[in-house]
Amino acid sequence: MSGKEARLKKTGRGLPVIGRDSHVLSIIGLMILVCIIMMLLKPESYFTGLNLRSMIFQFPEYGVLALGMMACMIAGGIDLSLVGIMNLTGVLAALIVKNTIIIENGVVTNPGMVVPIIVLACVVAVVVGGACGAFNGFIIGYFGLPAMLVTLCGLQLYTGLAYGITGGPAINGMCDAFKNIANGTIPGIGIPWVLLIFIAVLAVVVFIMKCTVFGHEIYFLGSNAQAAMYSGINTMRVTVMTYMFSGILGGISGILITSHLNSAKSSNGSTYTLLSLLIVVLGGVHPDGGRGRVIGVVLAVLLLQMIANAFGVMYLDDNAKTFANGCLLVAALVLSVVMDKRAAKKAAAQS
Amino acid sequence: MSDEVFLKLEGIKKSFGGVHALKGVDLEIRKGEIHCLAGENGCGKSTLIKAISGVHDADEGSIWIDGEKVEKMKPMDAINRGIQVIYQDFAVFPNLTVAENIALNGELKNKQKFVNWKSIHEIAAKAMAQVGADIDPDVKLERLSVANKQMVAICRAIINDAKLLILDEPTTALTAREVDKLWDIVRSLKAKGIAIMIVNHKLDEIYRIADRLTILRNGAYVSSGPISEYDQARFTRDMTGHDVSEDKYHPEEQKEEILRVENLSRKGAFENVSFTLHKGDVLGLTGLLGSGRGEIGEALFGIAPAESGKIVLNGKEITIKSVADAIANDIGYVPEDRLTQGLFMDRSIQDNTIASSIRRYMKGGRLDEQAMEDVTRRWIDEIGIVAPSPKPAVRTLSGGNAQKVVIAKWLNTEPKLFILDGPTVGVDIGAKAEIHAILHDLAQRGIGIIVISDDLPELVQNCNKIVVMRDGKVAASIDNSIDERSLSDLLIGAEKQEGDKK
Repeated sequence: MSGKEARLKKTGRGLPVIGRDSHVLSIIGLMILVCIIMMLLKPESYFTGLNLRSMIFQFPEYGVLALGMMACMIAGGIDLSLVGIMNLTGVLAALIVKNTIIIENGVVTNPGMVVPIIVLACVVAVVVGGACGAFNGFIIGYFGLPAMLVTLCGLQLYTGLAYGITGGPAINGMCDAFKNIANGTIPGIGIPWVLLIFIAVLAVVVFIMKCTVFGHEIYFLGSNAQAAMYSGINTMRVTVMTYMFSGILGGISGILITSHLNSAKSSNGSTYTLLSLLIVVLGGVHPDGGRGRVIGVVLAVLLLQMIANAFGVMYLDDNAKTFANGCLLVAALVLSVVMDKRAAKKAAAQS
Repeated sequence: MSDEVFLKLEGIKKSFGGVHALKGVDLEIRKGEIHCLAGENGCGKSTLIKAISGVHDADEGSIWIDGEKVEKMKPMDAINRGIQVIYQDFAVFPNLTVAENIALNGELKNKQKFVNWKSIHEIAAKAMAQVGADIDPDVKLERLSVANKQMVAICRAIINDAKLLILDEPTTALTAREVDKLWDIVRSLKAKGIAIMIVNHKLDEIYRIADRLTILRNGAYVSSGPISEYDQARFTRDMTGHDVSEDKYHPEEQKEEILRVENLSRKGAFENVSFTLHKGDVLGLTGLLGSGRGEIGEALFGIAPAESGKIVLNGKEITIKSVADAIANDIGYVPEDRLTQGLFMDRSIQDNTIASSIRRYMKGGRLDEQAMEDVTRRWIDEIGIVAPSPKPAVRTLSGGNAQKVVIAKWLNTEPKLFILDGPTVGVDIGAKAEIHAILHDLAQRGIGIIVISDDLPELVQNCNKIVVMRDGKVAASIDNSIDERSLSDLLIGAEKQEGDKK
């Protein structure tokens, strides 16, 4: 075997899970770069348990949002209403918890009801989130309107609803058990619950995208909606289901952020819309739809959290972080175009 | 006509991805001649035009215009040297008026920054007078007929001192009388000394107009010469690379009925269409553009369902109101436009192959990846898709192979009725024959095959029954003992009648 053949064989197989995905590899490269820079600048405060914990408590809420955004973008659309759904469902969950678990002098008066009520609040959040998403999907699929406009209207609509329900001020002071969802750790082991929740959500999303008919239909729809229709795929149903799926993830995120902040209002996490978009594109989801992998999106979530904390430990201005994120996004977009062209050239050279 | 050469191409080569669209083409166009460029679909005609007009940069070969060698030609260079192309879709702006469409091009060329409305009307009037067109200059383009849109495109092309006008398949969407009128215009432009290259592969039309002819096949130059040197036999031989094979498809006659369509109608598309398809039949459905030939396919597949009439498949009357109905009744459909309707170009061969049958691969709550891969491998072997594995994206395949993937997608649903609209458009000759062999084999196995096409030689050779549509009605149901010329007469018979009426 010549050297070239050996190399081909090696790259042909790629690494497990990651494969030869150039996006994934470049994100990993960037993560290493961030580590190296922080090693040089501030290793004493970056590589600490405290910093790691702060990262883990932060990223799941928008990581889950990004997964919803990913599904919609792979389907050839976009979901700008996710933050609206997140806040609406968060407000509803907070209302349920606050009004039914009564705290007097710091003691819960009806302890037996705590778990069932929190479960109920979560179910309501997920169902309402799914309903909001299904509504988006129906308008997009049935009337053939651009997803960008419909979900932007959805953002206004759900934010407005949340505002109407709260009347403006935040709902604060839910019971400790609710706070614990996003702030607590498993007793004895010290692993945050929220990390487990994120991993569980991730596992479900991976399974759906990879191992179900619906997941494949999302890719088909995003790759070529017309061919999907001509292949007998019910594009209307897939559209509704995709946005419903995204809405459900918005609902889960609503619970996480409300629990994390122990506060619900219509304007929480307003930067997450663009942040999740950034993550998804950075993660290698093609802006035209049809292409993208969960692993890339997850790594992009982690990368952005690493960058955010790097800026944090150096006490840099938040605007500098926004600027850095902007640069990353442009770089990711340019990279995807360059990679496309290179792949085309390679295909030409091979034949 | 002079013998002075205006445009000369030598050894032009161009590839896209893995596809060699042009493998060394020579072409010589003289000043003031009408030159026909002929070749089957997918022979590289369109690519060659794009190389001449500077849209594509040729990989190899040289181009001389007016005796001067041109390197790295850009579209604007070609225009400045007097080369104008009218593409099949005319590239007109539907939302602008006739005058704007004609004149704006020139304003761009002269690098004007501001629009002079008065001169726009003058330019348009002058151009229309030259061509002999009589169209209201203030009407928006979208309201014109196809023939008039084409006229506008010609007007626009000639205002910039065109020396060579290239018409890409100009007659496809025209009626016979409109073709006559177009040829009149072409002759008058020739009289003005403009060279004209017409891309066309219909022999009867070529004979009436062309001075000289160049034939391409599979991206390569075959022959060139005065039209008088070509008779039907040589023309077909040069186009296809073999003498017209006389072995037409003749299945054994079988009584077993597969499909019966009775009085199928949809307003504005077709009415009272009836035909029957027996076991072993490959039924050809043909007609001019707008005759309803494609619409019947769409109706049977539920994309635009019929409003009334009866469809009986394997002895059972079925109702088709949606694509889901069609699929539930085991009907497969290869759409006319493979790229936009048939394929997921970025997805793998495997994903494309199982797209319509994916539900079969759910096993224990999840998709069985291995089974999907195995079945794709089986189809790759069975219908001869040239690919190293099921994994490459369909984008990397040639036209013929991509079409086989669309066919595999439907065969994997085990259809009882298989409708193919233009199954061999843009497919090279080798793959074309293979696709036909596949269809004949399927027909023998008892699958009803309907081929919708306007490729008459293809129909005569491969379909044992032909239904000719005209103005939404069945004009004739015939067997394939008919020759191409009489079939062509049947197709345009409508025009003769129309002419008589008026």
